[in-house]
Amino acid sequence: MSLLLVKAWLRDWRRRPLQRLLTLVGVVIAVAVVLAVDLANQSAQRAFDRSMDEVAGTATHQVLGPARGFDEVHYRDLRLAGWRDSAPIVEGPARLPDGRTIYVLGVDPLAEGPFRGAASDIGDAPVQRLVTEPGTILPPSGWWAGSGMAHEDRLALETAAGRFEVTLLDRAAERDEPAAESDDEGGSLWVTDIATAQTLLGRPGRLDRIDVRLDEADIDAFAERLPDGLELVPVAARDQASRELAQAFRINLTAMSLLALLIAAFLIYNTQTFAVLRRREVLASLRLVGAGRRALFGVVMLEALLVGVIGTLLGVLVGMGLAQVLVGQVAQTVTDHFFVVAVTEVTPRPLALLAVIALGVGLSLLAALAPAWEAARAASPGSLGRGRLERRARRGLRGLAVAAVVLLAAGGVILLLGIGGLVGSFVALFLLITGFVLLIPLVLAGVLSGLARLGRGQTLPRIGVRSLERSLSRSAPATSALTLALAAAISVSVMVGSFRDSVEQWLGQALTSDVYVVPVAPAAARNGARLPADWGEPLARIAEAESVSTGSSQDTPSDAGMIDLFVVEPHPVWLDYLPLLRAETTGAALDQRLRERDAVLVTEPFAAHHDVGVGDRLEIRVDDGRRMFEVAGVYRDYGSPQGTVLMLGERFYAGTAGAEEVGSFGLRLPDGADAAVVIERLEAWLAERETAAMVTRPGDIEQESMAIFDRTFAITHLLRVITLLVAFIAILGALMALQMERAREFATLRSLGLLPGGVRGLVVFQGAVLGGFAALAAIPLGLGMGWLLIEVINREAFGWGMDLRWPVREIGETVALGMGAALLAALIPAWRMARMRLVPALREVP
Amino acid sequence: MDEQGSVAGMVLSMTDVGFAYPGEGEVLHGVDLELGAGECVAIVGESGSGKSTLLHLAAGLEPADAGTVRLAGQALAGLDEAARTRLRRAQVGIVFQSFHLIPTLTALENVMLPLELATDLDAALRRERAAAQLAAVGLGDKAGREPEQLSGGEQQRVAIARALVHRPTLILADEPTGNLDSRTGEEVFALLLEQVRATGCALLLVTHSDDLAGRLDRVLRMQDGHLQDRAAETPAT
Ligand SMILES: Nc1ncnc2c1ncn2[C@@H]1O[C@H](COP(=O)(O)OP(=O)(O)O)[C@@H](O)[C@H]1O
Ligand SMILES: [Mg+2]
Repeated sequence: MSLLLVKAWLRDWRRRPLQRLLTLVGVVIAVAVVLAVDLANQSAQRAFDRSMDEVAGTATHQVLGPARGFDEVHYRDLRLAGWRDSAPIVEGPARLPDGRTIYVLGVDPLAEGPFRGAASDIGDAPVQRLVTEPGTILPPSGWWAGSGMAHEDRLALETAAGRFEVTLLDRAAERDEPAAESDDEGGSLWVTDIATAQTLLGRPGRLDRIDVRLDEADIDAFAERLPDGLELVPVAARDQASRELAQAFRINLTAMSLLALLIAAFLIYNTQTFAVLRRREVLASLRLVGAGRRALFGVVMLEALLVGVIGTLLGVLVGMGLAQVLVGQVAQTVTDHFFVVAVTEVTPRPLALLAVIALGVGLSLLAALAPAWEAARAASPGSLGRGRLERRARRGLRGLAVAAVVLLAAGGVILLLGIGGLVGSFVALFLLITGFVLLIPLVLAGVLSGLARLGRGQTLPRIGVRSLERSLSRSAPATSALTLALAAAISVSVMVGSFRDSVEQWLGQALTSDVYVVPVAPAAARNGARLPADWGEPLARIAEAESVSTGSSQDTPSDAGMIDLFVVEPHPVWLDYLPLLRAETTGAALDQRLRERDAVLVTEPFAAHHDVGVGDRLEIRVDDGRRMFEVAGVYRDYGSPQGTVLMLGERFYAGTAGAEEVGSFGLRLPDGADAAVVIERLEAWLAERETAAMVTRPGDIEQESMAIFDRTFAITHLLRVITLLVAFIAILGALMALQMERAREFATLRSLGLLPGGVRGLVVFQGAVLGGFAALAAIPLGLGMGWLLIEVINREAFGWGMDLRWPVREIGETVALGMGAALLAALIPAWRMARMRLVPALREVP
Repeated sequence: MDEQGSVAGMVLSMTDVGFAYPGEGEVLHGVDLELGAGECVAIVGESGSGKSTLLHLAAGLEPADAGTVRLAGQALAGLDEAARTRLRRAQVGIVFQSFHLIPTLTALENVMLPLELATDLDAALRRERAAAQLAAVGLGDKAGREPEQLSGGEQQRVAIARALVHRPTLILADEPTGNLDSRTGEEVFALLLEQVRATGCALLLVTHSDDLAGRLDRVLRMQDGHLQDRAAETPAT
């Protein structure tokens, strides 16, 4: 390859620095987009997981034994056998000197990492001290305020095993931090080392349970390893729900990452082919003076490789920077609430890096390949004129459209027939998206020629529209990239909106009561743990509650097998909080039906698994034998994958004396009541009871979770920024190309008397047409993608749906943003075009 | 009004005009040229001698480096890009060697373009005027064709119609027959001249053909960046 050849080809960088730079920027942005989306997804996922974990913990299963616990040797065996995601627990109630019940949670801080926020900052001082100093304990941070105690004070605890002196550790003091403001999360959970807990609770060498996190595939293998007397049970329904949501969220974010890849591919292809096509005259001339085909081809590919490599490297840096900035916002808020700051460390996953390098370098080469080969082959500069190229492009339209229809049909069939499960759904989603995108050039051509026809007589707009139509090979890929980017932003809005609503609903059910009174019992005994039913009346009086509810879960035989039956005596307003999907009737009428006739409500997964619907009948064993119950409605609940049946206490105990014991009490407080004061009074009352019980406030954690959830979705901002960038680059590239290709036309117009301002207007108008088209095309694509992700793929994966939310405002904003970016991008070529020197452009070709 | 009075009747006047392309030697120097209303003048000269450049300066597409160029009595030097454009579109029609029709517009629309840019006639009237002008160059039946569907001669006729339709006072034509075969060239030239005479505007025409040049009122020769009166240059003939 001669040096002169390389020089001749690369000199263009000096001649048209802006255009060559645009090629590089195209690669940089594409790579940055993929990486930033992936990183942001990762951290959004982690933030989401964290906030969910904080509510529920991440264990999927628990190993339970007899009520008195089991030998800790079993735990050691499990870990030695390679089950590392496991954490031993010893737990039980204790009383403070003032009689209040607390709950002692003995953990192995070194094994806890993945399981609970409350004890996971391994290596930090308080945890170290928990392990190394027997008799130390961490009260919940909200407890200190009213206690009159300080860091390292000693306190007497009374348990079933006797009286013990413990040393109190304050996290905040230990870390030299101001105490967290109103941080009463965790209620009465006192965390200590497992050895201390064993001593306190009188269970040396024994464990109450082992929390484990298992993949679906490992469950059976794990259960088989367990010795007799130990059993593996899924964690409680509430925890299950959070995990299901988190998993669904992850799947949707994965879809977003893949979509970013697609957008990037368009961008690179667009800028690279353009870069080579632009200089086909140079190539042809070199060929004329005798440069070998191979040598020419090599020189073009060399440049493509350089652009690819440099662009990719810069892109990786830009992408990480971009992610860092945007993710910082998420991380900030998460750090405020929990003390683990894993979220800020955004490091690209090896797989994402590989994908990005393949994309940046590979696609740069690939995109240069075809035009390079063609141009190098061409014998004369005229033989590959713009016109011929465009005619060929237009002939290609029909081929594209056929391919598009085939892809759309294939995607539709896969979805309709449900082939291939979750993977099939993803394949279908991408077939549909690709099909839609391949249709864009044809539709754009149609729309442009329609606009041109409409604009008969409006000569100038017509020129603008027709030149877009004639340069379809420029305008269509740019419009496709922009459409995809806008659609991605819209579908993320749909997705996030729907998730938010679902989480809100899910949390909302727990918010029906302001305060709960629950029994204190180790996990193994928890399902059966009960409180005396006659507490209801005094609790209501002490709390000055508006109403009291009770709830008890139990496994009950039915004609559908063993079912999870939830018996409730609800608050009068309960139906306002229940997300009913389908029901015979609603409101007071439904309440009345459930009270007066044998009727139940079932959850969505229950309805799906047992194939029952509204109006079907179930035979369920209740207090006085088996009776037939009608399904009066289906409600949304992510709690148990197998589903739950909800029955009112009146029906369960119909004809008997009624419940003697209940699982928990829920108290609704009047508006403006000070929950903290109420809890104080309730705890004082409970301190004098025989049965150990404690007060919890779901509201705090739930409300905090919602706030965190909202901020977690800073990722939507990232996607907006990306949309903006893509819109900008795509439109800028297309209009710059148009400007060069149509320079003579514009110069002619100027010679005929078009003012510089008129030229600017014309180019900006072209930007607006492309931007407007992309925005309009993106709305159905984005909403369709959102719908598929939420309604089809999610249902496929989990058996439950979410309320699809159409985020009108976000769609409007996204569209406005895309248009804005397109217009902004048009300004540069518009300005350049208006300042163009006319004489060179008009010069006769000899 | 005094100023305008001094060049009264002059459609175009160039005084001691000099010009150089950036980074190149001087193309024009000391060019003087006066063109009265309705006067038809030919410029001949060797390829690369600066004829096209002269027309571009006359049209105000480039500002002159030295001397003054006046269009319809108005000096271009003091005008900005927009003002020069306004003056050009009101006073000048241009015919290029390679037609320079807008490929995305029909013949009729190409002719309507100057009306749209230079006048505030309403759309119907513009269409009517353009159609009449197109008919006048013999293309009334091809109004809806796009440039690519027309022959070279037809395209140049559309360009002539486009140059004349808004009734400019000066037509600048740069080798209008240069891309046509001789017979078609002859026809197109005859048409241009006929139309120019009919509308009474002035014509400044660059050509290689002495024969065509000879049919105009005056012939000037471009040589070494100067304009010389042909008569003065070759007293023998
Ligand atoms: N845009 C331009 N940039 C630089 N030089 C130019 C440009 N246009 C013309 N020239 C040069 O100016 C001289 C005169 O050109 P031109 O006016 O086109 O001559 P003619 O029309 O008489 O053939 C030539 O030497 C030509 O190379
Ligand atoms: Mg010339």
